[in-house]
Amino acid sequence: MKVGYYPGCSLHSSAQEMGESFWDLMRPLGVEAIELEDWNCCGSSPAHSTHHGWALNLAMRNLLLAEEQSLKELLVMCPSCFVRLREAARQVQSDPEKGEQVSKALGRPYGGSVRLKFFLEMLRDVGTEQMRSLLKKPLKGIKGALYYGCLLSRPEWITGFDVGPYESFLENLFRTLGGEVAHWGYGRQCCGAHLGITKPGLVSSLVDRIREHARRAGANCIVVFCPLCQVNLEMRGRKEPALPVLYITELLGLAAELPRTTRWLGRHLVDPRPVLREARLL
Amino acid sequence: MAAEFLEEVSRRSGQRFEGCYHCLSCGGGCPVVEAMDYNPNQIIRMVQRGMREEVLGSKAIWVCVGCFSCLSQCPNRVHIPAMMDTLREMALEAGVRVAEPEILAFHRAFLGEVRRWGRVYELGLVLKYKLSTGKFFEDFSVGFKMMAKGRLQLLPSRIKGEEQIKRIMNGTRRLR
Ligand code: SF4
Ligand code: SF4
Repeated sequence: MKVGYYPGCSLHSSAQEMGESFWDLMRPLGVEAIELEDWNCCGSSPAHSTHHGWALNLAMRNLLLAEEQSLKELLVMCPSCFVRLREAARQVQSDPEKGEQVSKALGRPYGGSVRLKFFLEMLRDVGTEQMRSLLKKPLKGIKGALYYGCLLSRPEWITGFDVGPYESFLENLFRTLGGEVAHWGYGRQCCGAHLGITKPGLVSSLVDRIREHARRAGANCIVVFCPLCQVNLEMRGRKEPALPVLYITELLGLAAELPRTTRWLGRHLVDPRPVLREARLL
Repeated sequence: MAAEFLEEVSRRSGQRFEGCYHCLSCGGGCPVVEAMDYNPNQIIRMVQRGMREEVLGSKAIWVCVGCFSCLSQCPNRVHIPAMMDTLREMALEAGVRVAEPEILAFHRAFLGEVRRWGRVYELGLVLKYKLSTGKFFEDFSVGFKMMAKGRLQLLPSRIKGEEQIKRIMNGTRRLR
């Protein structure tokens, strides 16, 4: 299986540990991935918040590149990038005027041959059995509050994810890894997104509430699926004591004993190693 | 006049807003409603009434982060996040005074990075945002910690298709 890989900006910088851990997982899972050559930023919130044309064309340039590079599938790591790319492709395919706009800006039309795939969807396709075969060190002693954030828990007709809400799949996956799922009602709360920079006080109160509920549910870490959630949950919050915030891919890497694991774990603002040591995973 | 504003917002966002019967479900689930000057459904009512200046000058349109909570709870599937996108774009075009200058400064700094490199160079983004808002020392220690942990890329990298990016982003209008 050969697929294109769209990391998105944060995986090259603040969320390196998410990118590296996923990249290292792909080989044992039998996925051959090639990074989309010369990819650009999808435009994210700032583009769709202020300029519809930029949002459309920035996203579509990546799909055109994938088409040029004969990639049939493009694996997208960040939920927000995924929704931006999927939304642009949907607009182009349903509205000829938008298609025209893209051809004009980018010099050729989009043929529509690239299938966008969110990374969790790939994990789902791989299947529980194969996941289990990678398991060397079950995550016993880890009680995770799964934090889906705003996008993964919204209905599929809004976001365009192919698997409806992801919650039950992710709970199963986490249990397969040997972890315990904490029951809480805060997994769908929004983390405040880019207001983490512009309105730190507001986002700190959101994060405090999330932490408080995770802790009350007995969790010793929060498990995330999005680079922006990760940064806000580690960086913000004032009153509540911090909880480690780990990417699902890091936990997968830990359970599979991938060699670079310790390097990712050292990069966190809230050090997860004491919790992991206590669970005898390090 | 009233109908004209509603018509423009509907056309540009590709959505309809007549269906809202003001049940308030949307505002109840909005994570950032406390920082808004009008609830999301009040903005809809103001759009219906043609209150162009008040809407385009509101904080609410900038504070919305597009989390889709309102939309997933709305019995009529009224697409508030798409409306907010359109309203921000209209506010910039009309040149009204933006009620949340820092949020706009962030968007601008971010898009400036995209225009320059094709990708977002996070360190440059943060520095530019801080310089433009004068909040240079806020978060200094977090930023330092991120750098020390190797979580911020120290140098930007440029993509090959920079001409194409410039063409996309210089096109018709720059962000004021
Ligand atoms: S939930 Fe929908 S119908 Fe109810 S007030 Fe909000 S937009 Fe209107
Ligand atoms: S999309 Fe905007 S208005 Fe709707 S709930 Fe989220 S932040 Fe609030």
